[in-house]
Amino acid sequence: MSKVNTALASELQYYGAKEFSACYNCGNCTAICSLASEGNEFPRKMIRLSTLGLENEIESSLEPWLCYYCGECSSTCPRQAEPGELMMSLRRYLTARYDWTGLSRRFYTSEIWELGAIFLLAAFILVLFIFFHGPMTTELTAEGGVKLNTFAPWKTIEIGDWIMAAFLSFFLLSNIFNMYLKVMVRNNKVKIPIKLYFTTLWDLAFNFATQWEFSKSENKTKIAGKQFNISPYWIMHWLLMSSYALMLILIMVFLGWFQTDIIYEWWHPQRILGYYATFGLMAGLIYFFYNRIKKEQESGKHSHLSDWVFIVLLALTTISGILVHFFRIYGLPYSTYYMYVFHLMVLFPMLMIEVPFSKWSHLAYRPFAIYFAKVKSAAEKMNSKN
Amino acid sequence: MEEKRNIGVYICQCGSNISDYVDVEKVREEVAKINHVSISKTTMFACADATQNEIVQDIQENNLDAIVVASCSPKLHLDTFKNVAERAGLNPYNYVQVNIREQCSWAHSDKPVQATEKAIQLVKAGIARVGYSEALIKTKISAENVVVVVGAGVSGMRSAIELADLGSYVYLIEREYFVGGRVAQWGELFTTNETGKETIRRLYTKLMEYKNITLFTGAEIISNTGTVGNFDIQVKIRPRYIKPGCKVDPEKLQKVIDACPVEIPDKFNFGLTTCKAIYKNFESEFPEIPAIDPEHCTRCGECEKLCDDIDLGQKDEFINIKAGAILINTGYDPYEPKTGEFGYKEIENVITLPQLKRLIELSGKELIYKNKKIHNIGYIYCVGSRQKDGENKYCSRYCCTSTIYTSIVIKNKYKDIHNFHFDKSIRTYGKLELLYREASENGDIFLQFWDEDPPVVSRNGNGTVVSIKDMLSSGKELEVDCDLVVLVTGMVPRQDNKIADILKAPIGRDKFFNEIHPKLRPVETVIDGVLISGACQGPKNISESVKSSLSAASKANSLVKKGEIELKPTIAFIDKNACVWCDECLKACPFDAIIKTQLEGKDVAEIVEAKCKGGGMCLPVCPENAINLKGYTDNEMEAMITALAD
Repeated sequence: MSKVNTALASELQYYGAKEFSACYNCGNCTAICSLASEGNEFPRKMIRLSTLGLENEIESSLEPWLCYYCGECSSTCPRQAEPGELMMSLRRYLTARYDWTGLSRRFYTSEIWELGAIFLLAAFILVLFIFFHGPMTTELTAEGGVKLNTFAPWKTIEIGDWIMAAFLSFFLLSNIFNMYLKVMVRNNKVKIPIKLYFTTLWDLAFNFATQWEFSKSENKTKIAGKQFNISPYWIMHWLLMSSYALMLILIMVFLGWFQTDIIYEWWHPQRILGYYATFGLMAGLIYFFYNRIKKEQESGKHSHLSDWVFIVLLALTTISGILVHFFRIYGLPYSTYYMYVFHLMVLFPMLMIEVPFSKWSHLAYRPFAIYFAKVKSAAEKMNSKN
Repeated sequence: MEEKRNIGVYICQCGSNISDYVDVEKVREEVAKINHVSISKTTMFACADATQNEIVQDIQENNLDAIVVASCSPKLHLDTFKNVAERAGLNPYNYVQVNIREQCSWAHSDKPVQATEKAIQLVKAGIARVGYSEALIKTKISAENVVVVVGAGVSGMRSAIELADLGSYVYLIEREYFVGGRVAQWGELFTTNETGKETIRRLYTKLMEYKNITLFTGAEIISNTGTVGNFDIQVKIRPRYIKPGCKVDPEKLQKVIDACPVEIPDKFNFGLTTCKAIYKNFESEFPEIPAIDPEHCTRCGECEKLCDDIDLGQKDEFINIKAGAILINTGYDPYEPKTGEFGYKEIENVITLPQLKRLIELSGKELIYKNKKIHNIGYIYCVGSRQKDGENKYCSRYCCTSTIYTSIVIKNKYKDIHNFHFDKSIRTYGKLELLYREASENGDIFLQFWDEDPPVVSRNGNGTVVSIKDMLSSGKELEVDCDLVVLVTGMVPRQDNKIADILKAPIGRDKFFNEIHPKLRPVETVIDGVLISGACQGPKNISESVKSSLSAASKANSLVKKGEIELKPTIAFIDKNACVWCDECLKACPFDAIIKTQLEGKDVAEIVEAKCKGGGMCLPVCPENAINLKGYTDNEMEAMITALAD
């Protein structure tokens, strides 16, 4: 026997779900959904749970992560209850529920917290540079480039990188563990043999790298009148994600090689890889900005503050990064230094807030959700056989 | 009875519908042999204009005294050929239709030879019958252009105004001391947003403008001796115990009310409050003069001491009214849940929807019931309607919309109230669907139950809990804490329905008044001149009630406005010489159309022509075989049987 709880509906409003109470349970959303399957009958089921305010059941649900917001449900809904936006809001809500520090909930539900944290972390970087930066020499290298490593030696930056990475990993991994507890341990009626966690591990790795399920969602693309079974949304998303991952590897693992004072030829891998990542990020960002401003697709119609924060910070990081590069090779020392500080002032809060507490965590939660769902259904199959 | 000597017979092919299986030419050859058949023809379509004209010509040129058309069902074309006969100057009752399509060609398409044989027999029987047919003349009776409207609720008042506009004189008879019926009890009404009181005030003000409407309140019909056109109605008018010229002074009235020692549950508020024997339900109630309830008044005289306009000596008055038609508009009663039905009368905060609506009217800025501020309201739908086990199988139509509208009013009027709807499926039909949407958007929660698994209301410490197996989340067992549980009660027929007995108006299986045909004759009853409309006929919302009352008004007016009414001639006829008055026929007649009269010193039965419906129930029970039905006389029937047996 569960108690109906009206408070959840009001809480979910802060996460962006404002229209779902209009739902009259026809189930068109689930019927049209290309990703809903037996046992995972979303969005209708999630709408009902949200209406009734059954928090524990929502907390243990994987369905929100299995949805990629193609928006078919929202455009089909006869009551404009925006089921797609509810699924999106539930992803925000779950991110907050998985986060044991409570910060995520603050960031999602309070603009002051979200923006305040960004400015605070940016100020922290600024203070560090004010006190600890290297000499701001105007002397150029033999090739005519700025001596960036004198101002900010990559070895020092790398140490900072690793400290930050340790923080991020700790929070993200502990949140994933929390997700595991909520989904697989509590509220779970199926007995799951440990072995299954290993046999389905491939799904986790594959989905982590590709977000392949995304490509199956309904947003198909048409070129010259021919229907392609692939979502442009997924292509752009993958471009952005891979560029971001590449850039992360370059600055975390190969910082000494990447942040160099040497000016390589344009075809050198150091420059080509950097340009590719910048291009991928910019192309993806333009697509997502366009989507949110034009509001043509369902997924772009409702933007939460956290959605804007994410793309704005990423865009500022990307633009400032590429400017640092050009200022350096064209020998503009002060521009390079200030831009470099600005670059880190944006990059640092973005990673600190987005990765463990906000939007970017979905890159981890989604593959884990698919993985957990696979493990669960395999366990159910085994149990039904016995 | 003279047999007809000059009969015309027409056998229709109905395109090929009949002639494909029935050999129409053979039928014609066979019937042509019969004596007195002077013309026999086959025709492609008997109903075609050309054929109709040909029949008219045949009748006139050959002086035919009867015709038979063998074609389709009389339901389709009986009137067509009656008209043909009339056009040719032949009495339409000297026409007989034989059905050789539905009864022969269609029914026996696998056996054409036998189909033809059957057709021949049927046509022969038809010819035999028409041979004994009599020319019947429709009788006419005079009619008063006066209509009695029973019940001054919203539809009664509206139809009275309509009838008065159409030129009829209207007597509007209301049992209560005030007009408005149920509608006066309701606050804001859906779609118009006007309150019930305002709607009634508007109607009453308009009503008072008419010189040809007389309103009686506290009045009831106690008997009727007449029939359509000339109803003879006796009305009893209970006294108000207030002198007619009384100018009401609200302050003084309040003093008088305070002085009255009688305190009884207030019917108008469905028992939520109490009232005195002298009362007026709300200030702008009409007529403006208060009333004293004779049933509860102890005649102590306290009020008389304070007010000169009170006269406890007033007596019942009886008046007689002659009317051409009667319009019943007596409305409904809300279903009264049984004790213990969803906790009703056992758990203190379980009330009905009508009570909730009164509670809202009586409340100020906060919704308070039994001194507790209300936060969560649970509505349990279909209480007393769509019953799985009970007798009320019907849907009461208005309640889903009314509840949802009430929940919207509550949301708008009070802060922090949550509405929980426990329903069987929401039926806010038509444009009212928008209200359902609005309620959902307001955040109201709808939970749906199965017939066999209704919600359970129980006490839980200080609070009340409604538990439900929710159909919309595949049977999840849920609990809702409610400070107020509202039973959404449907409509039931008026408990006191004496008017039905007095007017012999038929009651259906569901105990509501019954119309002749729900689609085609929706406001007429089998009693000529007695019409029904509004919720006394079955659950209706206000607009539906008013629509039906307007339809009944125009029907009533069209019946009486000419000053005379034509009656069907196919009624029973008594051979008074043979009659010995055993009263069997009177017992068999469902319409009371037989009266006792005298013939040369002996008691005999007589048919009241305006009441007889030609049902024929009296015929077989007569031991002396003294009754015949015009158009279906023994001679005709026996002739048919003889022809068929040949």
